[in-house]
Amino acid sequence: MESRGRVALACVLAWALPGAGHFYLGKRTKGILFLAIVLTTFLAGLGLQGRVYLANAEQPLSYLATFANVALGPLDLVGRQITYARILYRFPSEMEPGLYQEIQDRNRERILAETHEYGTTFVLTAGLMNILLILDVFDFGIGRKS
Amino acid sequence: MRSHFIIMCLFSVLVGAFFGTLTRDAVKDAVKAGALLALTMVGVSLVIAYVMFLLPLGG
Repeated sequence: MESRGRVALACVLAWALPGAGHFYLGKRTKGILFLAIVLTTFLAGLGLQGRVYLANAEQPLSYLATFANVALGPLDLVGRQITYARILYRFPSEMEPGLYQEIQDRNRERILAETHEYGTTFVLTAGLMNILLILDVFDFGIGRKS
Repeated sequence: MRSHFIIMCLFSVLVGAFFGTLTRDAVKDAVKAGALLALTMVGVSLVIAYVMFLLPLGG
């Protein structure tokens, strides 16, 4: 069982870089494998024209999807930059016509791609994988899992 | 890459590898569990696809 500080740091590292929490707790092979798997899933998703979600009050489920994206840590910023050419978390309102139109155009461009749904699923899955990794690191840390 | 089947296989392999690594410690067990999960995902997807093929979907 690790100290509280080490467990907290491991969880933060796991969020910041997939597999880093396992690596920090001494599970080095697993850490590297997790990094490779989650990174491949995320990059394949972006390559398949997937997109990261923006929180939109008119679509409540978009909050859950955005949360899954944010669970990827700084990698999510890369996804946002590639998808929207800016770091944006909230879908712009029609009160901001320039930004609203730009985001709509960028979304449309990706949605029209044949592999868009697959890509978005890959991106979301990468985030969900990382949530499981953070929980796994926590379990290792508190000694629930050996 | 435009083949839906290959994309599905890639997804299954990645998810299988992830859960194999997450749930097993020994390499052999992890590979076995991951391969079983990936093959099951592909197999079940094909069965569902064939069942849906028989359904009248309108149009």
